[in-house]
Amino acid sequence: MRQHLRYLPLPEVVEGMVLGAPLAIAEHGVTNFTLPAGHVLTDSNLRQIALRHGEFACIAEDDPRSDEAREAERAHHQSRLDTIFSRADRSKPAIAGLYAAVLAYRSL
Amino acid sequence: MPLHLSESEIVDRAALLPAFPSVVNDILQTLDDDNATLGALIHLVERDPVITARVLSIANAAAMAGRTQRDVRDMQVAVSLIGLSKVRETVLGVSLANFSSESRMGRHFWEHSVAVGVAAQELARLGRISTDYALVCGLLHDIGQLWMARCYPLEFQMVRLSLSLEPTLDILEAERKHFGIDHCAIGRLLATAWRLPTSVVAAIQHHHDAHPPADKLVAATHVGEVLANALDLSRQDEARVVNLSESACDLLGIDWNDDLNYLFGKIEARARYLARIFS
Repeated sequence: MRQHLRYLPLPEVVEGMVLGAPLAIAEHGVTNFTLPAGHVLTDSNLRQIALRHGEFACIAEDDPRSDEAREAERAHHQSRLDTIFSRADRSKPAIAGLYAAVLAYRSL
Repeated sequence: MPLHLSESEIVDRAALLPAFPSVVNDILQTLDDDNATLGALIHLVERDPVITARVLSIANAAAMAGRTQRDVRDMQVAVSLIGLSKVRETVLGVSLANFSSESRMGRHFWEHSVAVGVAAQELARLGRISTDYALVCGLLHDIGQLWMARCYPLEFQMVRLSLSLEPTLDILEAERKHFGIDHCAIGRLLATAWRLPTSVVAAIQHHHDAHPPADKLVAATHVGEVLANALDLSRQDEARVVNLSESACDLLGIDWNDDLNYLFGKIEARARYLARIFS
């Protein structure tokens, strides 16, 4: 099954979820807690993250959607993005770059 | 006919808003003071019982997560558990959340402010400037709209109506049509009257500019608001991206061709997280 990434606030992260990106927490500019991508989170991990004031995690999840459902959701996101950018000049490089970057993020 | 408001009238009318939390200025001053001590920050926190309670609550949550089994009631212990930067962020966020709430602004207004604050913080990290200043700029960037809604609610509703009837109308134009002045200019007057640092005043004044001045804090606030709207973080129908300054992006070192998924994900998740912590 395909997987997709979600970025969740810590209160929504639960035991058994799988990290989709390395998790690193720094204090005073020094990284003092790390977990690798692919790590299955345990209750102990979650307590350690909370103790170090972690705020979010990138989670990899199975994506049960069919290709059609995935494409329909992407089209929905693009339609909303078109509305948000309706008054912007998308021929300008920064605007075009931002639009493409947000659409890529929404297609994860 | 637009209102004809003098600068002194605008500042005087701010008396209709709750008192601006002086702890915000005090915290920002400690950032600029190399001699500021941990004790000074604790003293600031303990002046306000609401903020004290929130900081202790966060410290107790951390203590419970670490199974230390202690009930944290001492602010020195709380600050050592949470860390100075997190305490500063919490004090700034909670005090401005209270200010917004007492001003009776809607939930969307505050959620948008938090989203811009978090986006500005993350951009400040890229640009290597103070994340506390960036948070304050984001939380206060639309303070002029809060003044409009509180001091002239009828005219404020007319601005909203104009925007819904004319979707191509620029918000600043609509505000000038009814108020004779826009929320960025009002924000500048209020921030100056509240004696906020000049860099914060400039960020509030120029956050909508197509060509803002070359200053990283202004750039982080400008791009932060654009990102909050582009990512639809407060899910408001009227969220629009209009301008994005290339020079502001360059100043912060943003390349839109890079993979920005992690940055966007971090901003989206932290905005949701901090909206809960602050409110």
